[in-house]
Formats: sequence, structure tokens, C-alpha cells
Amino acid sequence: MKRRWSILRILIFYGTALLLILLFIGPILWMVSLSFKTRTEIFAYPPRLLPETFSFANYLHVLTNSRIPLYLYNSFMITVFAVVGNLLVTIPAAFAFSRYRFMFKNKFLFLILMFQMISPLIISIPLYRYFVLLGLLNSHPGLILIYITIQIPFAVWLLKGFFDSVPLELDQAAIIDGCTEFQTLLRIILPISVPGIATVLVFNTVNSWGQLIIPLIFLNNIQLYPISVGILHFADAQTEGEVTTHFMAVASVMGLLPAVVIITGLQKFIVRVLTAGSIKE
Amino acid sequence: MKKRSSAYYTHPLKWLLPMLAMLILFYLYPMIDVIRYSFTNVSILRPTYRYTLDSYLKIMQDPEILHTFYVTFTFVFSNVMAQLVIGMLLALFLNFGIRNRYPMTIAVRTVVLIAWMIPGVLVGIVWRLLLSSSNFGIINYLLEVIGFKRIEFLVQPPVALLSVIIVNIWRGTAFTMIMEYAGLQRIPEQLYEAAKVDGAGAITQFFRITLPLMKPILFINLVLITIYTFNTFDMILALTGGGPARATEVLTLSAYTQMFKFFSMGTGAAISVILLVINMSMAYVYYRFILSDTKGVE
Repeated sequence: MKRRWSILRILIFYGTALLLILLFIGPILWMVSLSFKTRTEIFAYPPRLLPETFSFANYLHVLTNSRIPLYLYNSFMITVFAVVGNLLVTIPAAFAFSRYRFMFKNKFLFLILMFQMISPLIISIPLYRYFVLLGLLNSHPGLILIYITIQIPFAVWLLKGFFDSVPLELDQAAIIDGCTEFQTLLRIILPISVPGIATVLVFNTVNSWGQLIIPLIFLNNIQLYPISVGILHFADAQTEGEVTTHFMAVASVMGLLPAVVIITGLQKFIVRVLTAGSIKE
Repeated sequence: MKKRSSAYYTHPLKWLLPMLAMLILFYLYPMIDVIRYSFTNVSILRPTYRYTLDSYLKIMQDPEILHTFYVTFTFVFSNVMAQLVIGMLLALFLNFGIRNRYPMTIAVRTVVLIAWMIPGVLVGIVWRLLLSSSNFGIINYLLEVIGFKRIEFLVQPPVALLSVIIVNIWRGTAFTMIMEYAGLQRIPEQLYEAAKVDGAGAITQFFRITLPLMKPILFINLVLITIYTFNTFDMILALTGGGPARATEVLTLSAYTQMFKFFSMGTGAAISVILLVINMSMAYVYYRFILSDTKGVE
């Protein structure tokens, strides 16, 4: 009796697991399938699960006849600068929060966290006007400055947590050996905190890659679009005229791929972020 | 927490300066400025402006604004409730799988996380294709297979709102799942063993042990997902663009439309201020709770 129950339990578990996997990955797999189909196959009824042949013709078409590669390149450049820039600003700040004593430190930390909860949409009107004055509108540097800023709260909090876990005794030993504060940060704290920095890197990369509101508002030159805005533009353009669902699927897959690879490969870091920030006493 | 008697450096300002400069220039100052702008008739199209209450009056007289609030509330409330319940079920499922070392558990966690991490704009576009009433709209085909009629998901206003809500649940639940899963893992196994000895079944255990111990996490989770859902913008823009007939236009989309489609920056600023007030109140609730919670721990 007991044995039969446990077999049933295993069956229920795996059944549910399969269903969940299908529910969450199915939409993406369907997109991949569409991206390989020919135009006739797209509109075939009943729809076929898989395309007849896996030809890369659609991909070749999108790579050579659309701006998608340019968008991907733009996204890549913006993301690299935003993520590196963010670390240059947040590592020193997290160091100060971790190693220094000053008034209102905790209040200050929470104040920073508040920014995290405020939609970037709210600051866009004033920023738009400043950027017009400064000539930063319609430029990647302007965009990158905003990206760096909106990721600050999250990065500072996370890095501070990682720096805190580096024992103070190591700092003291370094000071006795004649290290300056800067050398202590560079030679002692940073090497030990590599996993923490990697975590911030992963998260900021995914967020910068997917950022939509900011580029949508601050760019109107199509040549500068990142993939998020570019793909929306691409999708809206196709409803106006020719039917190009298979190309849209290709573009989606190209936009999704980096995110999916990062998430699957570096899941450990992502889970750590989600649990560390929220449940810490 | 132990006092750090050995936190020895002073004068942290030079380390904080770059961050402070960025936050003040690109966040704090614009945030204060948007309040000022909301009392003007500022526009992208001309450089000068004057002070007026018109924007607020215009919002209050706009018959559509109530509808936008209704859409926003429906969207946020149903999402938060569904994500809490489904997230909890998923967390229990993961917890069960991990404890029994079933190998497929991590795969489930990964796919749910993928849905959460892919850019919102892509979620919108992918689902636009899935929910389409053309032949490639697989959802409609599946409905037919199991004997239902085809549905024009994104055309009929109430159905469109429901679709947007469901897609956002699909996308957002991972966050709750992971948070609650982490919470479940922190409940000592002995408590359940003791309960078992006392003859408590799985359901009693859940309501008497799991739920009470998870209360603080559930509350933080509730506040955070309310904020996230409230600020959702990219997915809806890509999926429906706020349509049909503004049926899925949440407050953030409204602000965007006013500002950058109608170039009515004053009205946009006024809606931004409303957004700001709502965001700040939720952040304050979060802050107060964390504060009282940490005091309890120390």
C-alpha cells in the first residue's frame, strides 16, 4: 500500500513537472519553430509542430535585409558600457557602506533603495528637457548615463552584502602591511568578491539588454535603436504591410537567445540575487 | 548584529561621490522637477512655459481617467493575488522535488525563471503571435482541439485585459516562486517531524506551520510584486499597446502616451506625480516593515 502511494506520488510529480516545463518553455519553442518555417507553413492549417526542413533562409534574410543585426550591435555596446560604468560607480560606494562608519548610514541605504521602486518613467520629462539642452538626446552616451543610474540601488545593495562577508581581519592585515584604502579594496576585497561582482554583472546585463522605456523615450534615430525598441519597431512595421510573421519570429529568437543563454548558464547567481535581497534580516 | 568595533575608516565621501552625483543629477533632481512641471503647461514642442493648474484639472475632468484607474487596479490586484497563490504552489512543488531529490526539479525552476528574465518587450511580441487568431496562433488551435471556439484574444476589450493579466502572471510568477521557495527552505525540518508525530496531516501542517512562519516573507513579497506590477510597461506596450480602445491602458502607459504621443508634457508630468506618490507610499510601507522586522530580529 505504502509503496503504491509512493509510485503514484512520483507519477504525479513528473506529470506536473512536464506540464510546467511545457507551459513555460512551450511559447519560446513555438517561436523557434515558427522562425524556421516557410511562409506557406506559417499559415498552414492545422498548424504543424515542426517545419518541414530546418533551413536558415529566414535567418539569412533577417541578417542581411533588416536592421536587426545593427540593433543587436547597439544593444551590445550600450550594455557593455552601462554595466562597466555602473560597477565603476557602485564598487566604491559599496566599499564605503561596508567599511566606513558615518551618520545616517542605514537611513541613507534605505533612501537609495527607494529609487529602485520608482518607475524611470517618472523622471523622463525633466531628463528629456535637460538632455535637449545638453545635446545628449538621441545619443548612446546619454542613454548609458541613465542606465548606469537606474541600476545603482540594486548594485550597491548587493555589492555591500558581498563586501560585508569579507572578514575585517583581512583589511587590518593589509593595513599593517602598509596598504592604502584603495589598495585594500583592489587587492583584498575585490578578488574575494568576484562571485558578487559576477552576480551584479549578470543582472545588470539582463536588465540593460531588456530596457525599453528609456531608449523608447530618448532615442528617435532608428540607427541608434537597441534590440528592445528595434524589435517593437520591426513588429509594428510588419502589421502595416506585408506578412512577415516568420521574420518576426526570427527577430524574437535573436533577441531572446542571449537572455536565455545567460539565465540557463548563470542561474545560480540569479537565484542568489532574488533570495539575498529580500529575505536578509 | 554584532557591532563592528573595527570599522576604522572615516571620511567616506570620496568613495560615495560618483554615486551621489549620478543619483542626484539623474534621479533626485528630475524627480523634484517633475513635480514643478506638473504645475505648468510645458511641452516638448516649445521652450517656454507658464505655471497653471490646468494639467490636474484636465486629468480630473477626463472621463477616461477613472477607466485607467480601474484597468490599473484590476491588472495589479489580479496579478498580485494570482502570483502569490501560484508562486506558493510552485514553491511547494520545488521544495517537495528538492527534498526528494527528483532530478527534473531544477529544470522546472529554470524554465519558470526564463519567463521572468526575458525582456518584457519580447514577452509581449511572443504572446502577440501565440494569441493571434491567424493560423499560426497556437493557443486558438489548442482551444479548438479540446473542443472550444476560437477567441479573438486581443480584439475584444474585456478579453484583451484578461489576456494581458494572464501573460503577466506567466511572466511574473517566478519572482514569488523563488522568494517563497527560499523561505520554505528556512523552516526547520524538525517542526514538520514534530507535527507528524502529533498526527497532523499535510494540510494542517501547511496552515499551522508553513503559512505562519512565512508571513513576513509573504508580506515583503506582496509589497514588491505590487510595485513591480504597478510599474509594468514594456510587456503591455508590446502586446496590445494599451488597446483595443484603451482597454489595457494602465497608468504608466497613460503617462507615456500623454508625454510622447500627445506631447502634453504638463499632463504627463501630473500623471507622473500620481505615479510617484503611489510608488513612494508603497516603498514607505516596505521600509517601515523591514525596519520593524529587523528590530524584532536584533
